[in-house]
Amino acid sequence: MRKEVISSYQLFAMIVLFEFGTALVVPIGLESGHAVWVSILMALPGGIILYLIYNYLYLEFPTMNISGYTQKILGKYIGWTLSLLYIPVLLFNGSRNLREAGDLLIAASYDQTPVFIINSMMVIAVMYTLYKGIEVFARSAEIYFFVIILMGLICNFVVIAAGLVDLKNLFPLHSKDWKDALASAYPNILIFPFGELVCFTTIFPHFNKSHKARRAGVMAIVLSGLLLCFTHAIEIAVLGENIYSRSTFPIFTTITLVNLANFIQRLDALVILALVVGVFFKMSIYCYAVMSVTADLFKVREIRNLTLPVGIVVLFSSIVSAESYPVHMDEGKVFLKYILPILCAVIPLLLVIVHYIRKKFGLYR
Amino acid sequence: MMPKNKESGNTKETQSPEKQILISTNLAENLKEISNQFGNSTDIVIRKFTIICTRVQVAAVYIDGLVDKIKVDDFVSHAMSFNTHTEGQQEVTSGKDAFEYIKEKALSIGEETMIKDWKELCGGLLSGQTLILIEGLGEAISGSTSGGEVRTVSEATTQVSIRGSKESFTESIDTNISLIRRRIKSPNLWVETMKIGVVTQTNVSIMYINGIASEKALQKLKTQLKEIHVDAILESGYIEQLIEENKFSPFPTVFNTERPDSVAANLLEGRIAIIVDGTPFVLIAPATFIMFFQAVEDYYQRFDISSLIRLLRFLCLVISLFGPAIFISALNFHQEMIPTPLLINLASQREGVPFPAFVEAIIMEVTFEIIREAGIRLPSQIGQTVSIIGGLVLGQAAVQAGIVSPAMVIVVSITGISSFATPAFNMALSIRYLRFAIVFIAAFMGLYGISIVAFILIAHMCSLRSLGVPYMSPLGPFIPDSQKDAVYRSPLQSMRTRPRLVSQKNNVRMDSDEGKRGDKQ
Repeated sequence: MRKEVISSYQLFAMIVLFEFGTALVVPIGLESGHAVWVSILMALPGGIILYLIYNYLYLEFPTMNISGYTQKILGKYIGWTLSLLYIPVLLFNGSRNLREAGDLLIAASYDQTPVFIINSMMVIAVMYTLYKGIEVFARSAEIYFFVIILMGLICNFVVIAAGLVDLKNLFPLHSKDWKDALASAYPNILIFPFGELVCFTTIFPHFNKSHKARRAGVMAIVLSGLLLCFTHAIEIAVLGENIYSRSTFPIFTTITLVNLANFIQRLDALVILALVVGVFFKMSIYCYAVMSVTADLFKVREIRNLTLPVGIVVLFSSIVSAESYPVHMDEGKVFLKYILPILCAVIPLLLVIVHYIRKKFGLYR
Repeated sequence: MMPKNKESGNTKETQSPEKQILISTNLAENLKEISNQFGNSTDIVIRKFTIICTRVQVAAVYIDGLVDKIKVDDFVSHAMSFNTHTEGQQEVTSGKDAFEYIKEKALSIGEETMIKDWKELCGGLLSGQTLILIEGLGEAISGSTSGGEVRTVSEATTQVSIRGSKESFTESIDTNISLIRRRIKSPNLWVETMKIGVVTQTNVSIMYINGIASEKALQKLKTQLKEIHVDAILESGYIEQLIEENKFSPFPTVFNTERPDSVAANLLEGRIAIIVDGTPFVLIAPATFIMFFQAVEDYYQRFDISSLIRLLRFLCLVISLFGPAIFISALNFHQEMIPTPLLINLASQREGVPFPAFVEAIIMEVTFEIIREAGIRLPSQIGQTVSIIGGLVLGQAAVQAGIVSPAMVIVVSITGISSFATPAFNMALSIRYLRFAIVFIAAFMGLYGISIVAFILIAHMCSLRSLGVPYMSPLGPFIPDSQKDAVYRSPLQSMRTRPRLVSQKNNVRMDSDEGKRGDKQ
């Protein structure tokens, strides 16, 4: 089969969509209260550093994904075992995204539809796209990039135009707020959504111009970080700290308040679409990462054959992982605090250090 | 079966790998064989006569209707007019001499060839040549006398434009090629012709501009055409279906047009035209999705107007694909999206309607499709009557009878009209039947279902390729340079490069100097 290649535009679009994913919709960094937007900005440099770590590893091993070079750097046995960890974690994270989308949809307008049906529709779309290959997926990402930017512009415009924004909700920032902001930025926001970019280590090998990956990626992270910051700032400005942290989907609550000239009102559908698009891309990238790592570890020649099993596992784990949305959020906190940082930051950092030492002292055979 | 005679001295050198069956030297036998081969068809005309001074039997053979009678007469009389001795010429006594003489004379009017082989002879006859057979010679002189009734170049009927050339292609491949050549006066406009179809032996030409068209696409197309083994090619649609890479895709990946100016423009962008004898529809490949929403007129109008019109077409695409689906999902799932007074209105309209919105939509859509299909096949006068009865009477009556709600009639008709706003008919067809699937999903899953279908559709379209060119380019893969002529059209002065991926080399349309000159004017 022809090698699939993706361009820097496509990488850019994929990273932005991935970052938006669910982060646009669910409240992030709750500890920091009304200073969430500051914490997103604070986490941004950390996110860029994390990305540079992944990018460094990619440039050192341009043809391998994360499991490939983990085995190279740490040796076959340790590397293989460590890489195996990525499969369940990424699967679980993908299924969490699916769960969030399903729950929002049910809360919004599908109270009669079983969550299983809603989730399985999404999984079917993801499976179809991934079956067509990462190249096709990247191209659709380019098209949806414009769609989501357009939707974002409309949403933000109507919210501002409707005169709902109250800047008093964002300020003042006391010294305690700054401390809280920093505390929620590291590690929470750093990991979700920035650290999750670890998935892109499996997409990098398809990149056609390796030297451009850094620029495209950093630009995408900065852009998505700023837009996330802006969106969450608007949400807080509209809703106030209290409602923002209590509502399940603050953006949804925000948009329902819009009433422009008694004509443009209830644009909930736009938010739902934005969420569906975001989740679709985020989940697909998670699924692809799982497929890629699995194919590498278990020597599966045709990566497409893994679409169906991965899709089905994600679908079922999205339903059985938590009995209700609050439980799901609780699980998320634990997951975010103890498991994701290891995989997203600690292991890649370890890899970089070990690789550097081995390279410096010529320990590679 | 066929009399073989190797007496003629120069037969040996014409040995080709497949065994040739040569023309005999016996005229009577030859004529009988021709009659046999064509099953004594009545339109085969054999005129026998004798050259007086040599007493040599000669026969002219042609197929009535494929030839121009005047040309035949000219050819035969020209070839035979050597009764008087001319100065310095040998006296013509034997058949061989006569043949040499005729050949010499005949060749002077051009387009004459010598035929030794039966296969060639039959092929020549069938393509409208007149053959002169001479007693005692194993060769025939063939004169190009093809003619007969063809439709004249007339106005385009399926792709009408207000501004621009009124010419459209005809059924004759030669006319079609000349129509394009007249528009591109460049020696680099190359034509290659081949015969496809075991029985029909249809002439299929591929036309491209050497140096602009991509070699890769050209090679691919040629191998695909060579792999075609069917008995008949009756329309370019046969070729289209046989060379399409994605046979089960709802989207057409080969563009067709009956406008020479459209073909010329596409050739200049580096695309390849496939012209098939017997049809006014010329195929163009590689095609991209965007191409089906561009009309030639876009380039003849000012850029701002054509850009807006293009945007309008994309809006129509969205309406014709998702219109009824969005309406149904708003009614079923997202009532809050509709402003309250309108919602009350809609609800009161639907009060007497016994069916769910989905069934209502399907009833109206199917009715609309029936009216449309019936209207196409009917003569234009009756067609109008049908559309009046169908559109006005039926729509009104259906509402009054309480089968559908008035709002649904509006939605379905705006959808139907939108689907006609797509310049390419085959694309409009695909969109129309995809609409049914989307309505179905929308009835069960609302907007979420629509967006899921959209993911699958876009992924599918991104996976398509037409002669190796991604179908969704220049949107996915996104190519900044080619955006100038995709969703909107920028001024002609700024369209300096040809669409990338279609023509990879010789990409520059105009020199920057020339461009600047253009700007100043």
